Parts: sequence; structure tokens; C-alpha cells
Amino acid sequence: MTTGARPLVGVGYRSILDEWIRNNLNRFEVLEVTVDNFKVGGEASQAAIVDLVGQIPLTAHGIGLSIGTDGPLDFAYLDEIAAIIDRVRATAYSEHLAFTQVPGYSLGNLLPLPSTEAVAESVIAKVRCIQSRISVPFLLENITYLFQWPDSDLSDAEFLNLICSETGSGLLLDIENLYLNASNHGVDPYAFLDALPPGLAKEMHLAGGVTVRESFLEQPFLADSHSHRVPDGAWDLLEYALVRQKPHSIIIERFDAVDEILDDVTHLRTRIDRVFGAPA
Amino acid sequence: MTERLLDRQTELLKYLTSGAAIFETETDTSTRGANFGMDSRLLHLEARFSHEKRMAKIGWALSRTLDLLGTARSKFIRDFAETNPPLSIGRLENSRQFCSFLLARWGGDPPYLPDVAAFELAYAEVHAGDGRMGVINATDAPLGAIRRHPRAVLLRTNYDIRPIMEDLVAAPPPAPRDTRLAVTMLPDSADPVVFELPENIFVLLEGLDEFTDPGTTEDEPGMKLFIADLVARGLVEIRQ
Repeated sequence: MTTGARPLVGVGYRSILDEWIRNNLNRFEVLEVTVDNFKVGGEASQAAIVDLVGQIPLTAHGIGLSIGTDGPLDFAYLDEIAAIIDRVRATAYSEHLAFTQVPGYSLGNLLPLPSTEAVAESVIAKVRCIQSRISVPFLLENITYLFQWPDSDLSDAEFLNLICSETGSGLLLDIENLYLNASNHGVDPYAFLDALPPGLAKEMHLAGGVTVRESFLEQPFLADSHSHRVPDGAWDLLEYALVRQKPHSIIIERFDAVDEILDDVTHLRTRIDRVFGAPA
Repeated sequence: MTERLLDRQTELLKYLTSGAAIFETETDTSTRGANFGMDSRLLHLEARFSHEKRMAKIGWALSRTLDLLGTARSKFIRDFAETNPPLSIGRLENSRQFCSFLLARWGGDPPYLPDVAAFELAYAEVHAGDGRMGVINATDAPLGAIRRHPRAVLLRTNYDIRPIMEDLVAAPPPAPRDTRLAVTMLPDSADPVVFELPENIFVLLEGLDEFTDPGTTEDEPGMKLFIADLVARGLVEIRQ
């Protein structure tokens, strides 16, 4: 049994789920707002999110920063995000340790960076810059990847730890991404979790993906589709992680099949109880 | 000399958004993938996933358009992907790219497909609140001045395609007819509404990009009622 504050349990907010989330608000303790959706949303969808301020804590999550692009940060974008963070009174702002774009190309998928000290130094400078422009703690999320750069010479955990320790930034630990990398690339997920300093993970993500089978692949690949129940292997990793990490919140990332979302929320509370004990 | 990371990232994204990486088989792409020192099969998978995600975004706005491509669909989408790398992660931005490509290239059957694409894009833009919502509030405009509502999108089509937007299967193919449409939102409405406009009102609204003082015409009989009607239909905004 571990001590400390129990993590808040919640789901990712999407406009299409707005009515359902409002009807089930008492089942959640936190919601995660994707700032990029807020940014391009119309007045009505923005107003719906702002209406939730004060009813439930909101945490901000981004997909459009591309912190790993080897070029200057987009300050105009960052300032827009900072304003949204303030508007929704987010408790934290998280982004992926990845790149998605370069001038003239925007893939829309998260791609890994070469895990080297030189690249870490570049990201560290950007994290410091982000921290100076936003009013809440900044968190980096571990991603899942299909390929790796040949010049990577740090492990995933070493790369993340280096950046987080130099900047004081926290980790958004995506358990599903860790589970996928373990399955797809043979990464030892428990060694990854053991290598993280206690308390580094400030938030966590859970999701369920699909298995991709292709004749040209030597093995089936798991993909992060946010479309299925959280797999047993990911629940086990969560429970293991919670022994040393005390995240403020754990978010289920799923945007369809609301009954299954609620099942996963219920199961999440059971898993938290097993580590923290049943709530008083 | 060590290659800059940005150059390597750029080359990788160029490759992942190329037709070769997205559509060709592992055998075809193996040499190019090897240039990055990466497993070409996994790069192909990454490219395909990213392309499918992009097409899902485009399908969110242009579903009827994609359906109507029919047997030309695969070839047309491949041509689009090969000549229009994604510039943004946004659904509307990708849909605009596809729509522009289609308007420039489509010469096939059905001939009303460009009208359907333009209509669907306008509808999606209005629904997302992304018409001309970025227009600057002209605070120096006189009170009572009017302009086209920033939410409203005007559309000239060669066919009246509204029936097939209602029911693609049951509606007969639209006949050629110059049609002037406005897509807009009514207050407290969840979905956009579509009006067919007479040519003179369409032209009037086209000219109302900026706040304009209606004072000179307001004394004309019925003018106040006319403006009030346009406001009620979400076509005109009055500077308050």
C-alpha cells in the first residue's frame, strides 16, 4: 500500500462528447482539453469548454507544438496556447517529445527524435523558453514510434530523464505508448519505469489500440488508435508505475463507445485502489 | 560534415508524404528507406498511417465529394497526395487543399463534383466557425453600420446540388442551373443553414466585406425591414 494523494481520474474532452461528459460529470474528477482543438474551434465549442471552468479541473494538452523540430519555436502559436491555458485555467500544459512538422510539411503524426545528448540540449533550451511563456507547469509526454533514428544512443528513459532533470519539467507518462513500444520494439517497460525518478510523472494517459497485420511485416504491430479498451498489459504497467509515481491525474484517451469509456474509468479506480487503498 | 538535423527531418517528411512512401510496396520503397538508415517497411507503414489520418480529416468535411469520385477515387487521391503535401494538421486546412486541387483538376464525371466540394467545404467552415471569423472588428465604423456576417459564406454554383446533399442516393443528378447560395449560422442554431439568394442580394452581400453605413439608403421604403430580415437570417451583422 502506498501513501499520498490519489490521482484524479478523468477523460479527454471532445466537442462530440460534450453532452455525454456533462451528463456524467460527477463520474470524473478532471478533464483534459486539447488546446489545438480549442484554438480552431468555433465560438460555440470554445464557450462550451469555458463553461466547464470552475465545475471541474481542466488540464491542457497539445499536439501542434512540434518541440522536436530542429528550428525555432513558433512563438505566435505558443502565445495563443498560453492564452488558452489561462482562459480555461488549466492546471498544467503537456506536449509530446516528438516532431510533426518542418517548414512546408506537416505530417500530423508524432515522430521520434534521435535520442542523443545534442538533441536533448536543443529540446532543453526550448522547454526553458516554453516555461518562461506559460503560467502553469509544462509536461513532456513519451510517444510511441514505428521507427528509430540510427544515431540514437540514449535509451528512451535516459533521453526523457535528461531533459526533465535539466528543466524541472514533469512527465506525462503515456502508459499505452510504453506498452506499444515494449510490444513493437522489445523495450523493457519495467526497466523504463524503474529508470524514472520517483515523482517525475505528473500526469498519465491510458488508451487502447489496434493490431496491424501486413504481409510485409515480420510481426504484427500495435498502433495507438484510442479506439479500444485499455489492454490488460497496460493496466499492469499502470499499477507498477503507481508504486513510485504519484501523478495528479490519469486520463483515459477514448472518444467513442462511451459505455466502454465508463468501464475503463471504473477499472482504473479499482487499479488505483489496489495501490493506494480504497478511498476513505 | 554532419548533416543538420533539420535537413534530415525535412528529407524524412518529404519522403513520408511522397506517393512512393505512401502507396508503393515495401519492395519498391526499400532502397529509399535505407537512405535514412531505417527499416523501409516501417517507414511505409508510418507514411500510410499518416496519409489515412489525413484522408479521414478530409472525409470529415468532404464525405460526399469523396463518395462521388467513384472509380476515379484511388488515382485522384494519389495524384493529390503526390502534388499536395500536408501543410497543417487541421481538418479544414487539409480539406481546403483537397478542394483547391479538385477545383483545378476535375474535368470528369460527374460534372457537378466541384460544386459539391465547394459546398461541403463552405458548410464545414461555417460549422466550425471558421468563415471570416478572423476579420478585424472595425471599431471605428459608425454604430448601425452593416457588413456581411463574418460567419456567412457565399457560393456560386453551376448546379443546384442541394438535393443530393440531402440524399445522395435517392436524389436525381442535378441539372445545370446557376445558383447563388449562402451558408450561415442562425443564433442558437447547432447546424448551418443554407439559403438560395437572388442575384441582386448575392451581389449586395458580396460587396459588404467591410462595415458600410446604410444611412443613404435607409430611408428607402422597406429598407429597414430588409436589413432586419438579412440580420435574422444570419447574413448581415450590424455594428453595435
